[in-house]
Amino acid sequence: MTLASFSSASRVTAIGRLTAFRVPPTVALSFAVIAIVIAWSLAPGLFTNHSPIAGVPAEKLLSPSAAHWFGTDHLGRDLYTRVVYGTASSVASALIAVVIATVAGGLIGLLAGFLGGWVDIVLARLVDVLLAIPNFLLAVIVVTAIGFDTTNAAIATGVSAVAVFARVMRSEVIKTRQAIFVEAAFLMGGSRWHILLRHVLPNASRSVLPLAVLQFGLSILVIASLAFLGYGDPPPASDWGLLISIGKDYLKWPWLVYAPAFVTIATVLSVNRISRWLRKTD
Amino acid sequence: MSNAYLAYAAKRLAQAFIVILLAYVFTFVVVSILPGDPITNVLRDPQNGFTEDQIKQIIAAQGLDQPIPVQLWTSLSHFVTGDLGLSMRSNRPVTTLIAEVLPSTLILASAAFAIALLLALTIAYGTQFLPKRFGQGLLRGFPSLFLSVPNFVIGLVLIHVFGFQLGLFRVIAPDSFWATFFAAVALSIPVSARIAEVLIANLDKEAEQEYAAVARGRGLTQTRLFSKHLLKPSSLPVVTVIALAIGELLGGSLITETVFGRTGIGSLVQRSVSTQDLPVLQAVVSLAAVVFVLVNLIADLIYPLLDPRVKLIGGRGRRPTTTDDSATATTAAVTS
Repeated sequence: MTLASFSSASRVTAIGRLTAFRVPPTVALSFAVIAIVIAWSLAPGLFTNHSPIAGVPAEKLLSPSAAHWFGTDHLGRDLYTRVVYGTASSVASALIAVVIATVAGGLIGLLAGFLGGWVDIVLARLVDVLLAIPNFLLAVIVVTAIGFDTTNAAIATGVSAVAVFARVMRSEVIKTRQAIFVEAAFLMGGSRWHILLRHVLPNASRSVLPLAVLQFGLSILVIASLAFLGYGDPPPASDWGLLISIGKDYLKWPWLVYAPAFVTIATVLSVNRISRWLRKTD
Repeated sequence: MSNAYLAYAAKRLAQAFIVILLAYVFTFVVVSILPGDPITNVLRDPQNGFTEDQIKQIIAAQGLDQPIPVQLWTSLSHFVTGDLGLSMRSNRPVTTLIAEVLPSTLILASAAFAIALLLALTIAYGTQFLPKRFGQGLLRGFPSLFLSVPNFVIGLVLIHVFGFQLGLFRVIAPDSFWATFFAAVALSIPVSARIAEVLIANLDKEAEQEYAAVARGRGLTQTRLFSKHLLKPSSLPVVTVIALAIGELLGGSLITETVFGRTGIGSLVQRSVSTQDLPVLQAVVSLAAVVFVLVNLIADLIYPLLDPRVKLIGGRGRRPTTTDDSATATTAAVTS
């Protein structure tokens, strides 16, 4: 991150414009990276002319060059193309995981914090159980139970992150419940559900946003790890984790590992930076 | 040992026990919704050469024809007495299988933990000494960077650079010193990031306290301020992060052992996943939960003894690190 700020420090006008919006340059760079990743996943065909599946055997294992930015793999397929086409599945699955974790975890936390009493006690034990099993191990057994493919890996990753969201949501809800305006809403005769949806939920979910962004980055890593172990879609899918997993058998041609790894790291790093920025500006 | 402490300890002990039992039940439920019928799949495997009658006998003898709740009860009561059942693939007790691979994972995990601690301390304490303009920002970026790199990529890079290019170790001898060392390094990176994050946050908080300003005003050098005043209060909460790190080490060993070709708990899990060896999976996950809960319990129990400012739930106040009284209370400090 600091490296990035060094490199962009020379462009004074650009920085001046960014600080007007109160966006630090590293955050702007992170948004740019995410924009590229989203574009890749929406319209991979716009960014490359090669096919992600059919290779040219004569051009196998070429090093990175102007024609093949990330080189080619053992079947002569352009690695950059493979990465671009693998983006959609890698990013969408992380999104699924985050949605599951946020919705399920948020709901558990909301109910536990708002209703209190025995509901809270029961849900707290459930969260404890989810926390007690190491995250990655939990994801592995869930994906084993529901079957190996990328969507299931995403679901498993989501389940393994539910506890964190439940915990944060619960403490936020409890904090909000004690606020004076919530008390006022009760006194003015607002129903429980009205207060829950209109007052408690919007205020409590504010701090969940940075966490969800952070979880998005984390999910990319967990899903990549599951794909790396072979619990995602099989080849010729080109999820980032799978690409690295294939590349590890060809360590003599290291770009097969380094190129997809670089894209993964850049994406997750950007997501984390944005999450930290959101937390600070909140 | 006040009454409040004993009450607190008893409550935490009971909670830990309940969570362990529930974790077992949870795993049992997840594992038993497996698609297909792995049990008869294994038994019908032609290599085993069982007849249909024998299969029925085996299933009845193992109580596998009972309804799920009954099975759960049987299995839970075995679990409490330390009996983890038989592996479906090798027909050997699961405890033996785990005991065989445990030492290798323990070596890896403890080495990784030591490295993680060293790395985290270096990074965190470095942020207090390096000047703001040069280096400090870079150091502060490390934890975030560490957490953005997939574990297996670190392993692969280490193998590529130190194994292939520098020839320090050979991939086919995963138990040699250097291979173990670099596997431990790969495993330690994300763990060190978590510890460093908490340490840095605590150090910054302590450095802003009034007593630190007073000390600075009285002319203490940064070194003395750090070693005399900041070090101790900011290091204490690390006890609770350490408990969390255990889970990370266990989960990470799955990847690291695969990448470095080591045998251990992680590779045992991977093998059991691919062969659908349910008793082994069930056992490993439950044991992981037991270890995690116990380490957390110990951390929670010694924390009030280390930090006299901490008030106990049994008394009037609450522990400052927790916002709720759940069994893994220490996690709140990190996740919130």
